[in-house]
Amino acid sequence: MSEAAMEHGHHMSAEEVARSNDNQKFAMWLYLASEIAIFSIFIGAYVIFRVREPEAVRAFHKGLGVTLVTINTFILLVSSWAMVMGLRAMQHGNRRGMLRWISLTAILGTVFLAGQYIEYRELANVEITLQHATISENNELLHALDLENVEAAREALGGFGMRFYVPTAFHGAHVLVGVLWALLVLWRGRKGRYDHNPVGIEVFGLYWHFVDVVWVLLFTLIYLI
Amino acid sequence: MATISIPLPGISETAPRPRLSEYFRWSVDHKIIGVQYMVTALFFFLVGGAMAMLIRWELLTPKLDVLDSGSTFNAVLTMHGSAMLFLWIIPMMAGLGNYIVPLQLGAKDMAFPWLNAFAFWLIPPAGLLIIMGWFFGPAEAGWTAYPPLSTMFSGDGQTLWALGVHLLGLSSILGSINFIVTIKNMRPPSMSIWQMPLFCWAILATSIIAVMATPFLAGALTLLILDRVAGTTFFNPAAGGDVLVWQNIFWFYSHPAVYVMVLPSFGIMSDVISVHSRKPIFGYRMIALSSLAIALVGFTVWAHHMFTSLQPELRIPFMVTTMIIAVPTGIKIFSWLATVIGGKIRLNSAMIFALSLLSLFLIGGITGVMLAAVPINIYVHDTYFVVAHFHFTLFGGGVFGIYAALYHWWPKITGRKLDERLGKIHWFLTYFGFLGTFFPQQIVGMLGMPRRVAVYDPAFQSWNVIISISAFILGLSVLVLIYNMVVSTIRGEVAGPNPWRALTLEWATSSPPPAWNFDEDPVPFEDPYGYGTEGANAYLSALEERFSPPVVAPAAETVEEAAEEIAEGESSQEA
Repeated sequence: MSEAAMEHGHHMSAEEVARSNDNQKFAMWLYLASEIAIFSIFIGAYVIFRVREPEAVRAFHKGLGVTLVTINTFILLVSSWAMVMGLRAMQHGNRRGMLRWISLTAILGTVFLAGQYIEYRELANVEITLQHATISENNELLHALDLENVEAAREALGGFGMRFYVPTAFHGAHVLVGVLWALLVLWRGRKGRYDHNPVGIEVFGLYWHFVDVVWVLLFTLIYLI
Repeated sequence: MATISIPLPGISETAPRPRLSEYFRWSVDHKIIGVQYMVTALFFFLVGGAMAMLIRWELLTPKLDVLDSGSTFNAVLTMHGSAMLFLWIIPMMAGLGNYIVPLQLGAKDMAFPWLNAFAFWLIPPAGLLIIMGWFFGPAEAGWTAYPPLSTMFSGDGQTLWALGVHLLGLSSILGSINFIVTIKNMRPPSMSIWQMPLFCWAILATSIIAVMATPFLAGALTLLILDRVAGTTFFNPAAGGDVLVWQNIFWFYSHPAVYVMVLPSFGIMSDVISVHSRKPIFGYRMIALSSLAIALVGFTVWAHHMFTSLQPELRIPFMVTTMIIAVPTGIKIFSWLATVIGGKIRLNSAMIFALSLLSLFLIGGITGVMLAAVPINIYVHDTYFVVAHFHFTLFGGGVFGIYAALYHWWPKITGRKLDERLGKIHWFLTYFGFLGTFFPQQIVGMLGMPRRVAVYDPAFQSWNVIISISAFILGLSVLVLIYNMVVSTIRGEVAGPNPWRALTLEWATSSPPPAWNFDEDPVPFEDPYGYGTEGANAYLSALEERFSPPVVAPAAETVEEAAEEIAEGESSQEA
């Protein structure tokens, strides 16, 4: 009843506050459960491709390397840690500390997005596009492999882009939403919204950690396996 | 009866109805939002109904004569299915849930009023997108939107259709999260989950399905939209895609989703049947748990929609799971029968519609088990037998439940009862129009008439004339309902807080309820269906004393006339 109660200028009792906090966290868990289902469709589409066309994925692995994306993964993990520290600071009543840590979360999220952009540009340079494409014969990803059947790998590689971009871009959109949400938390936090009840930060934290965990899964599935 | 719980003392005044303008703007009051949902849904019911009339008009003759092409027929068919399922039944159930659930829980509002309003306001733009598609090359792939029909053949309307359904899915997920949190956390301290009205149980099961299944549709629609606009080939086998992926994901969502459409109806049944039989519901726990069982098993049956396209080895397992789902459904049907038997039955409109649901859903359920049997399924695949089956379940099971709910809860929502005589005319036209429409479809289906085509073998024409005329009667019945709604809202019999002498908490406040629903936190009776016990009678009498008697209708022309109306209503109620 939180929003409505505020609109009507009611003061919530401690019991009502506890219930409202509980409601918000529970709702976020339910929302994340539904997000898992959406991601599983996109991940499923990738996994089916991975099983059917191992050569195309091998060409992608060999040709591109994992340095950039590993750094990016590390950045996202650190941002989750900053998130935890921010919540902890607020729970100890340290508003300035919270603002600093959540700022770090937002900055690291933005850096991750920048890294993602660089990654996408590199992929575009080697003809990996969202659109189903015909890969040219002298594509450098294909040369990274010494294949017997280059033709088959070439054809399969044309379908790699969409299976790659859909899950990663959908995840990227979640990071972007997370960064915007972090800015909202900062803005509200400055006004003292969380001084007595940091549940808003906790709910944001659930979301941010979820986005982080999904990335670890995507990183493992797409780049390592 | 150890304790007699008595609702709080004192007298409550009847609150005035909200102003009309409140329904047209952003409001966080669940009662306003509930009505907004229902009115919007009714509008799309009329749109979908008009499409159905057009389809039946075309099918009066075996040739293509009313519509200009087979494509137009496909487009009309698609609009009919999409409007009825996505824009009528699902939002209507959400609207009823929105209005009734917080009241039944004795809560002031839903857990997240702002989110609630947001979920509703996604629906009008979504409906607009779907209808707008008509003018940009209409969607032609049916409500199931199978590729390659939906990717390679339909016009831009198909893209708009997908966007619209996407928005509706989001609305449904957000609304359902709200329901689950509300039902889990907002009950009064003295109401355990086993004392919760069965309508709330049904909405809980429905919401669990919606939260877990709808995202699958969202994922599939995203891929479909990308295939249409971004040049991907997820569903194009010519370029490494797979059409069966769509069928699998779609039915993994949509089979559970048919339970999203009928489970609320089952909840309505439990409430209406118990109240109007004046008897405790039979097998409360089994009814509650069978809703959850249906929700759970519903996720394991999807491939029975694909017996003709799936690997043959998978047919038997899906046949088995599908037949298993008849068990929890059967539990409900027998429990309702056992509730009715020996009761002091009031045959008012709500009850008649509920009993009709029992008879029609039974046929729908049995034809469902027939269809689950692989040999029969392959024989009648894509014939009118399938059309008849799902109309028996979704119209016979879903819409009849909505009608029962309207007659049952209309007094709570508007403060006035729907007219009983018009209600019975409505029922007569609906029930017999329905049987005349869909029973013959089972026969022509068995004879081999394929569905989804505008032209057919002239041998089937006489059947189709019967079907079409009955369908027009069914269409007429809706106009009777609308007339009844309008007239009764203006000058219907004033209902008072608890016209049915029901025990659930929505009747423990004035009709319509005031802002924040209850003047003081209400105390629920220990058993929501404990009719006929001394404790229940004491509770109901105490409730009656709390509220001032119904005010005489101001809209009636004379006081005598209004009094007459009330007396008439009471006598028909007792009959």
